[in-house]
Amino acid sequence: MRDLALSGSVPHAKRNGAPPRQHAPSADELASWVSLTAPVAGAFDALASRIDSSGVRILGFTSALSGEGVSTIALGTALALAALRRDAVLLVDANWIQPSLTSDAHLGSARGLAECLGSDASVAAVARPASRPRLWFLPVGDRQLARPSLRALESFVADGLDAFGAVVVDLPALLPAEQFVVPWPPVLDQLFVVLRDAATPLALVRQALEKLGSHVATQLVLNRASAPEARFRPTDRR
Amino acid sequence: MRPYVSTARRYLWVLVPMLALVWGAGLAAGYVEYTTTYEAQAQVWVLRVSQDLAIPNPDDPNVPVVQTVGAQQAELLGQLLRTKSVLRDVVQRTSLRAALAAAPDESGYLTQIAKHFKIQALGTNLVSVAFTAHDPKTPAEMVNAALAVRSERVAQARIAGSSALSALYRREFEIAQGQALAAQRQLDDFNASHTGQLSADEIHQQSLLKLAVDLAQGRLVNLQNRIDDTDVAPALVDMSGIEFQVVDPAQAETSPSGGTRTAATLAGIAFVVGCALACLLVLCGTFLANRFAASTDLATLAPAKLFAAVPQVGVKDQARRDLRRTLAAEAFSNIDTAESRMASESRGR
Repeated sequence: MRDLALSGSVPHAKRNGAPPRQHAPSADELASWVSLTAPVAGAFDALASRIDSSGVRILGFTSALSGEGVSTIALGTALALAALRRDAVLLVDANWIQPSLTSDAHLGSARGLAECLGSDASVAAVARPASRPRLWFLPVGDRQLARPSLRALESFVADGLDAFGAVVVDLPALLPAEQFVVPWPPVLDQLFVVLRDAATPLALVRQALEKLGSHVATQLVLNRASAPEARFRPTDRR
Repeated sequence: MRPYVSTARRYLWVLVPMLALVWGAGLAAGYVEYTTTYEAQAQVWVLRVSQDLAIPNPDDPNVPVVQTVGAQQAELLGQLLRTKSVLRDVVQRTSLRAALAAAPDESGYLTQIAKHFKIQALGTNLVSVAFTAHDPKTPAEMVNAALAVRSERVAQARIAGSSALSALYRREFEIAQGQALAAQRQLDDFNASHTGQLSADEIHQQSLLKLAVDLAQGRLVNLQNRIDDTDVAPALVDMSGIEFQVVDPAQAETSPSGGTRTAATLAGIAFVVGCALACLLVLCGTFLANRFAASTDLATLAPAKLFAAVPQVGVKDQARRDLRRTLAAEAFSNIDTAESRMASESRGR
């Protein structure tokens, strides 16, 4: 933990009861954050608030098929959580198939999750502070080095993630990339399956849930709901 | 019912333009049809031909008539106007003759012309003949020409029929004449050979011969009367004109008429088609919605439950597909700067 603090790039561990270390947002950054349009902020604020109130710390987003908006929701949720919470939020790009967040951050050649799983690097060394206050980003890294496995993920979670108040993992779609998703649920507090409203075939979602197994706590997030006030009807807040 | 209402609301932006398009097209077509259709109508008073003047049917003169004379004449006129030769004669008498001559398919053209005739029995003795067209002049021409052609055709048919019948009666008259002469000759021979007192048998035989002569002469008279009738009857009917009187000749219409029904049909079809398409869309939309993810159907995915819904949002003028890039720009715009700061901090330490 001391190493993390010395590196100066990763916030302090939460277990010390102190808020994670971070750079203070500048006036420009705050103005930029405010510039995020109200509908967008509001869209993810609701989801982030529910996640925050449910006490979930490490959460992952996946879907049955590609193109359901998983990366968008993961990114928006991480942004909203970072604005909502006082501790650091880590956004992890674990999409081995299409690491769009890493591409958006222009960190395609940077070290990241793969190096952490391959024990070549620590989270402290490869996580990068994002433009938003309290938000950190872990790119996917060199995917040839390692693949997600339960053992590597347990080690990854145990060694490096306790410094963050919340960890949001962007996972690939389950059906086309089952091997990259299935190891994650045991180390996650909550796995969310994203569905696109009136677009995702329910049969495929059912098939994806069967692949995850009944022992995994899975909840659904409906994306692009056309009438939020009518459709936002959470059934279980546990 | 609720899912259908929900689907209708969801596809309102499709339903409204579609209904506007279909119904609008139907109304426009109906309006154009109504305002450009002209109908001319002639009313004809028909009478049953007197049996004394009618040409008897040589095969079966006692065929019972079950139709009213109006319906009968309407049916006959309708049949007549379905024939190509009659239609050709009718068109040749009107301003459409040039169009007929120029038509590449004369038969098809005449078939289309036939569809514009409407012949109805308005009562037991009243028949209306109407024709619709898209100009005010043609309908009256066509109706009057049709009635004129009909009159000519009927007269020609009568003359031909009476001539044939007359020839038949004349032949029968010749035969009967021969039979009468033969009977007379037999009677004369009998009288010449029995000059004296006649016995009872001879008197009976002479009576039979006289009776045969009387019968033969009676038949001759009868046949002569029939021949006279067949010669005179058509002329009488033709001259009197009481069988088929045009009470109200067709006049050229100055205002549109006769297109109401067609216009209403077009508008009605458009209305029904629009409703059917809308129903189909709502049904298909509801069916598809039941097969795809929606908050109302997620209960079937238990034990997984709906945690939250992210509404569909747009960012300023950008399309929804750019939402992730917008968020990424917000989150990662200074990530390189942050990295250098991190590096400088590391170097400072």
